[in-house]
Formats: sequence, C-alpha cells, structure tokens
Amino acid sequence: MKKLSLLLIVIAVLLSGLSIVSAQDDMGIDSAWWQAAGAPYAGTVLHGVTESTPPSNYVKDVLAPMFQEMTGIQVDLETTSWDQMYDKAIRDMEAGSGIYDFVYIEQDIIYGYLANNYLVDMTQALSENPDLAAPGFSFDDFTSFLNYFKNADGDVFGMPMEAFVKVYLYRTDLFENADNQAAFEAEYGYPLAPATTHQQYTDIAKFFTEYGEANDMDLWGTTVQAASGHPSSFYEFFESVAPTFGVYNWGINMENWKATVENGGEMNSDAAKEALAWWLGNLQYAPPESTSSTWDEVAASFAAGRAAQGLVYGENAAWIATDPERSTVVGNVGVALPPLSDGVLAAAEAGDGYIGYYDGGAFGLPVSSQNVEATLLWLQFVGLPQVQEEWAATSSRIVMDSTYSTPMVVEVDAATNGYFSLMKDEGYLFAGAPPFPFHPQVREVVAPFIYQAIGGELTAAEALDQAAAAADAELVSLGYGS
Amino acid sequence: MRRTRTGWLLLAPSMIILFVVGIVPFIYVLYVGFFDWNLFSASREMTFNGVNNYRQLVFDPLFLDAIWVTIRFTFFAVVSQLIIGFFLAQLLLRDFPGKSFFRTIHTVPLMIAPIAIGAIWRLLTIPGFGPIPYLLDRWFDFEFNIGNNATQAFLAIVIMDIWHWTPFVTLTMLAGLSALPAEPREAAQVDGANSWQIFRFITLPQMQPVVLTVLFIRIMDGLRTVDEINMLTNGGGPGTSTRTIGIHIFRVVFPQTDYGYGSAMSLLTLYLTIVACWFLFVSLTAVRKR
Repeated sequence: MKKLSLLLIVIAVLLSGLSIVSAQDDMGIDSAWWQAAGAPYAGTVLHGVTESTPPSNYVKDVLAPMFQEMTGIQVDLETTSWDQMYDKAIRDMEAGSGIYDFVYIEQDIIYGYLANNYLVDMTQALSENPDLAAPGFSFDDFTSFLNYFKNADGDVFGMPMEAFVKVYLYRTDLFENADNQAAFEAEYGYPLAPATTHQQYTDIAKFFTEYGEANDMDLWGTTVQAASGHPSSFYEFFESVAPTFGVYNWGINMENWKATVENGGEMNSDAAKEALAWWLGNLQYAPPESTSSTWDEVAASFAAGRAAQGLVYGENAAWIATDPERSTVVGNVGVALPPLSDGVLAAAEAGDGYIGYYDGGAFGLPVSSQNVEATLLWLQFVGLPQVQEEWAATSSRIVMDSTYSTPMVVEVDAATNGYFSLMKDEGYLFAGAPPFPFHPQVREVVAPFIYQAIGGELTAAEALDQAAAAADAELVSLGYGS
Repeated sequence: MRRTRTGWLLLAPSMIILFVVGIVPFIYVLYVGFFDWNLFSASREMTFNGVNNYRQLVFDPLFLDAIWVTIRFTFFAVVSQLIIGFFLAQLLLRDFPGKSFFRTIHTVPLMIAPIAIGAIWRLLTIPGFGPIPYLLDRWFDFEFNIGNNATQAFLAIVIMDIWHWTPFVTLTMLAGLSALPAEPREAAQVDGANSWQIFRFITLPQMQPVVLTVLFIRIMDGLRTVDEINMLTNGGGPGTSTRTIGIHIFRVVFPQTDYGYGSAMSLLTLYLTIVACWFLFVSLTAVRKR
C-alpha cells in the first residue's frame, strides 16, 4: 500500500512538472533550453530590489515562480518603497557588498549609475557568454525606450521592464453627461471636453468642484500630486507640468549647467513661474488629501471617484479602468494628452521639446553581483516577448512594439479608451528625465522650495527664484559649471 | 599582575566589539566630515576641505531650521510627557475600578515600533480619509489638514510622540513613587502639611533622580526622532515644518549622497546634543543643591 502511495505521488509530481513545461511551451518558450541552461545554477537564489508597483509585483508573483519552475533558480525579489529601493541599491553597489543580483533602475538614475560604473554591460556579457544567450531573446525587440539604458557605444546596461507615460485621465461619465455639458457651456461659453489648454483645465476643475459641492458629493475638479514633503511633488511639477509650459530639463541649461535665468537657465523664468502658479492654483480644486498625495495616492483618489480629471502615471491606468475591486470608476475612464501652452505641441512634434513624462525603468545587473551568469538568464527571461502580454495588460506597461497588438492588451486598450493607443501613437511626444548624473542631488536641493510653495510659505516666484539659486550653487559644488 | 591580565583578557571581546562598532565609525565620520565627498559629483573623489563643511553649516538655513524644529518638538513633547506621566503615575498609585485594564491599554503604544506608530497616525490624520480630520470637520466644522498647515502638522507630531512615550514616563515614575519611603510623608502629615506642600517639599525632591533620568532619556530620544515623523508627514512636510534634524541628515546623506557635509552635520548635532544635556544637567543639579 505504501509503495502504491509513493508511486502515485511520484507520478503526480512528474505530471505536474510536465504540465508546467507544456504551459511554457504553449507560450512559445523553449522550456527545454531554459532547463538545460539553468541546470548548472539550480538552487541558486537571486536577490533583487525594486519599487513596489504593479509591474514589479507581477514580476514577483508571476514571472519569478515561472522562472524558478523552469530553471531551478530561485528569484527573491524585494518590493519596497521608492526611496528605500534607491537607498538599498546604491549602498549595496557603492560598497560592493553583492547583496543584490539585480536592481531596479529608474530611467532618471541610469546616468548616475553609469558614471559610477555600477552596472554590468549586458551586451558585452552576452557576447562573451554565447551559451547563455536565450533563444527568442533580442534587444532589437524593445521599443526605443531601450535607448535610455545604453551607453555612448550603444551597449545595454538595463533590461527594460516597465515603460508608461503620465497621461491626462478624465471621467467620461461626468464629461459626457448631457446636463453637465449644457451647464458647462452655459457658464464658460465653450463645450465641455478634455482640456487642451491650461485655462480650460482650470475651468473644468472649478466646474466639477462646484458641482461636487452643490450635489453634496465627495468630488473635486482635479488631482494634484502635491505631497508637501515628498519628492513626488517635485516630479509632478518639473517633469509633468513645467514641460507643458515649454520649460524642459527642470529649467537647467544643459550646456553650462545653470538654472537661474541670469546665468542662462530657465528654472525661474516667467514661464516656469506661470507653470508653478497654475499648478498651485489647482490645489483649491483638488481633494484635501492632495497635499499628502504621492503618485500612489493620486491614482487612489482618482480610482475612488474623488476627482474629475488629473495627471496620473500610466502604470495605474489599467487597474483604474478595469479592476472593480480597487476602482469605482471602471468603464468611466478616458485618456488624453495633457493641456499645453501655445507652441509646445509643435515643438514636441518637431523634436525640440516634449509634453510630459515618459517614465519607466529596467533591471540592472550590479558588477558586485555574486551570480552574474544566473542573473543574465533571469533578465533575459524577463525580456522575452512571450511574457509581455499579460504583464502589460495587468500593469499598463509596454516595452516592446509587438505587445501592442496582443489580444489582452487590445482589450485593456478599449477599456481605458485608448491608453495603449495613445502611448503607441503619441508616446514620442513624451520624454524621460533629462540625462543628469546628479539627478537626486539637485532634486533634494530644489524640492524644499516646492514644498514651501505648496504649504503657502513662499509664492511661486519666490520659490523658483530661491530654488534656481540653490540649484546653481549645488551644481558648482558637484563640479558642474563654474 | 596575573589577575589584572586575566581581567583584561575577559574584557577584551566586548572592548573589541565596542571599538569596532562604536569608536571606528565615529572616527570615520569625524574624518569624512573634513572632506567634500559626493558619490554623484563630477569627480567622485574625496577632496579635503578643512572646516569648510562646518563653516557652511552655520549659514545653512535648512540645517538651522531643522535644529529649531527639533528643539521645539523635543521641548513640547518631553514637557508634556513629564507632566502627564507624573499625573498618571500618581493616579495609578491609587485603587480605582478598571485600574489594571487602564494600565495595560495605556502601555500598549510602548510595544509598537516607531514606524508603525507613524503609519497609525498617518492613517488617523490623512486629509480626506482619516477619522480625525473627518470628525473635526463634521463635529466642529474645523479643517484639519497636516498636508498644508504647518502648525497642525507640528501639533500632530508632538501629540503622536506624547501618545507613544508617555507610558514610558508613567511606568518609570510609578516605579519611583512606589519605592519612596512612607515615613517622611507621614511625618509631614503629622506636622500638618497639606497635599501641595507634601508634593512640593517631600515627593518632588525625593523623585528628582528619577525625573532627571527620565528627562535625559526622553530628551535624547526626542532629539533623534526620525522614523515616526518621517512616516506621518511624508518626509517632514509641509515645507520643512516637521523636518527634524534626523530627517534632514537622512536626506542629505542618503538621497543626496553628500557624505562629507552629512558627516559634519551629524557631528555638529552630536556636539550640540551633548552640550545641551550637560547644560541641563548642571542647571538642574545646581537647583537641587540650592
């Protein structure tokens, strides 16, 4: 009897193994190759650190177990807060302690990491180890977002795992309501539609805030990512709002590394001051939590139906539009380009500027990793076209052109009223962070002035005058400019 | 001679550990404080700059502001904790219905990690969702928003610290009060002293060592508070109104990776803390001697 039980268990285990293998094969993954390639490293545990976001959680919950089942290599991915993620990764790589085998590299920090030689050159590593080059994997499959993770020679230092644009989300149920349209047009003299100018955006915000008050609803006109002590407010202003007024690269002159107008920068230019004043002005039409809201809370506020419109990171678009357990506005989400000043769209189309933030990140392999070869396998697995579809549909991130046409993505695209289409067709109008090797250093110096402006301690003009002067001083201190 | 050698041998492990984890880092921070060193600077090199970091600190408005926030926070929190803790300890000396239950509930915050305390208070006070702003608005039509009101944010971190640490003061005071000899108090009662006189001239002088101990522990804790405030106000906002010196040093050393300046800041803060505690100790013991 015991022998029979044992036999049944063995058969069950074998069958389950076969079913896993066949599942991967169904996806078009050559599981036999992965098993063979992973065999020398079976039992190895790869440690990684990343920000806790929908795309990262998918990696942790779905891709890591799938990879382990095929190769025997365990992936232990630590998902933590954005600032903790940076602290842990930088300290590990600087000390060379080798705790992490892969780290999340946000697009804006890659220039600092490259300058410090923290990362393994993946192009070179794969060419030196052709046995590790996975079938079906190619850097050529990625969108142009991959270019952010290349050095001057075109070698790749990060495996793109998420990319999205920060878009203008609006409530279609409110915007398309006939009564609202009539009332809005009667008050403002033009039809209610997604704003294309800043004045329209403010008008809509005011209209729906008053509408919420009149109907005793917890509804305000706009979200504002204005956490008054957190860098997220700095980012909303400099990377999402200032560009819509034609102020690029945080207002820092890339030729002489100066921020003040008198030294050739634009951080305290009239356009920048107008942009900050406009953004701060929106706070009166935003939910009370706005001054405590980072990117996560902005998405939560919109999903809770507390705002009629807002600038929201695209990684949240899918769940806001499709997940009824987390969102009260399922089926009522529209996407559009952000409101712009005159000439900004034309400049972006001509390649002379951009209209908002193309965010994203990659997994990088620190030179201090103790398991470079096993990690190269893992990172190629993350970069396989076959694993992209569900990942994109659940986490609204796309790093390969081929993913746009997959059935699940097409379905989510329809549910979001065209988020993926917008990203595909008009993503070129957005841009990643400027290539500053000193990104967090200048941010930390400038951000307190933005916080003070949010708290009303400084006017927009005062905040940017002081911020620009502080940025100039910090850049000199860091050895940029003189 | 042999006994002395054995004694040193037995002490050696702990002294080596102390030297490695306490003295070496301190000397390293002291050393780094004389350099200009930022990982993300153009050169990345450590450049000796003498006392320039310290000279810069004296004129750094953010640093000075953080020091001032920390002093105010520590003052209001510790004074409140001492008063409330002493009062509660006196109360707990007496018997009343539900005393054991109250003592248990009252002690619970002490068992919670500071970061969790910060998270609890953030959930309680988050504008738009938290029960405190909601109820204040509903009952008193009072807008409570720690995201954009510096005074309310400061008040929130002080109240949170009082809630967290008053039980520690209460328990310590209770232990002290329970250990006081009864004879002087009874003698004073026989001599006709009233309650206030007994408290002022008998209990308080006898309790002074306990009060001083609690005071110094709480002052040092208050001056280095980071995690719970960082969690509650999202990094010291609004503006820099709750950015204590601990949070400020954290932001300079980690996100900003300015190790030289951050080291100088840490050492100057340590120096100021020692001076403040010494000054307080001398003042209070001088009062006691008079």
